[in-house]
Amino acid sequence: MKNISDKVLKKIKDNNIKPKPRWYFITKNYFIWSIFGISIILGSFAFGMVLFIIKQLDWDIYHYIGDSFLKTIFISLPYLWLIFLILFTGVAYYNFIHTKRGYRFKFISILLISLVISLTLGTGIYFNGFSERLENIFSEKIPYYNKLVYSCEEQWMQPKRGLLAGTIIEVGLPENSFILRDLENNRWKIEASEVIWKGKITPATGLKIKLIGKLIDSNNFKTMEVRPWQQGQGRFMMGGNR
Amino acid sequence: MIIDSECINKTDEQIVVLTLKNQDYYLCIMKRYEAKLLNYILKISNISREDGEDILQEVFIKAYQNLNDFDLNFKFSNWIYSIAHNTTISAFRKKKVRPQTVSWEDEDLNNILESTLDVENTSLQKLTYKQILKIINRLPLKHKDVLILKFVEGKDYREISDILRKPMGTIATLINRARKSLIQELEKEDIKL
Repeated sequence: MKNISDKVLKKIKDNNIKPKPRWYFITKNYFIWSIFGISIILGSFAFGMVLFIIKQLDWDIYHYIGDSFLKTIFISLPYLWLIFLILFTGVAYYNFIHTKRGYRFKFISILLISLVISLTLGTGIYFNGFSERLENIFSEKIPYYNKLVYSCEEQWMQPKRGLLAGTIIEVGLPENSFILRDLENNRWKIEASEVIWKGKITPATGLKIKLIGKLIDSNNFKTMEVRPWQQGQGRFMMGGNR
Repeated sequence: MIIDSECINKTDEQIVVLTLKNQDYYLCIMKRYEAKLLNYILKISNISREDGEDILQEVFIKAYQNLNDFDLNFKFSNWIYSIAHNTTISAFRKKKVRPQTVSWEDEDLNNILESTLDVENTSLQKLTYKQILKIINRLPLKHKDVLILKFVEGKDYREISDILRKPMGTIATLINRARKSLIQELEKEDIKL
């Protein structure tokens, strides 16, 4: 044992072993902090999207469906973005504990700090209108995005319970009626003589809408209320078929 | 070549700074730690002295290669113990080493039992050296590790936290659990405290 230190020093000299340069550790440290920061920011975007989608949901229709409010919440939550939020928070946690002093913090403290930052920034992103812009980009550019994110399509395809959704394909019929192609590609004549148009929209071809009303027969539906498929659609997506 | 007397009045951290300019100073650091670290490695892993020495060499080389990563705001001893801990665990996992009964100093064994259980020596006098050793070696590695660091190496909670890279609260919990599992093992040997 006496010779271990001498042996090691000899080995270091013989094999020309050198300490790794300082910049290597500085870069590594910056890299870990950067991944932590990026994960927090991506988590914030995910939370901004969660807020935006929750705002889009029609919390008042659960009594039409006949489900409990809790079940409506359970069905409607934007799970995809919640999974992203959890995933990015996890990546942030993993990187934080690998920083120089990260191990000194408790799991729950790191998790809470990461979540609080993501939730605060995410709320800012949402109120800034950035979530809405992102949502529009994703809806247009990513195939099946709406199907993945919005679980409400099935909820709105229940004409017997007074709920219908689809795209206007023809307007200007007598008594404000119009023709709608629903989400399952069925053609409906919509009677809209006593209708309330919500969300600052007006009937136009290509507009995607949700209707609350009453089933007359297999091709006719009397609507009492029309809502844009997505809130804000009246402002940004008028006439756009999404 | 650096002679030992040049390092006598210098702290570990000062020698680290000097080593980065002249590798010969590393010898002073290694000499300061070789006995302590070898003891620690052997106690936590239960391996042969030969395997322990191989691990110790690996520890010194790793520490040398990562010397620029050592933060002078930390204690060098915690940093090198941490490398020793990780290298030993890693060698153990890779099964690069063979388990073997390691001899302990009587004083170390008594320290673990008395300090962990907070009882007088007389209560444990009926236990033989072999019995105590068998009991300690039956403890899970993480429990044995904290007990050795606390009661044999004399490290405080902050130091153990820096060595094992775990929060201080977790260290306190681990020591508590280690104490309980030690009591359970003693009870298996029909020793009531």
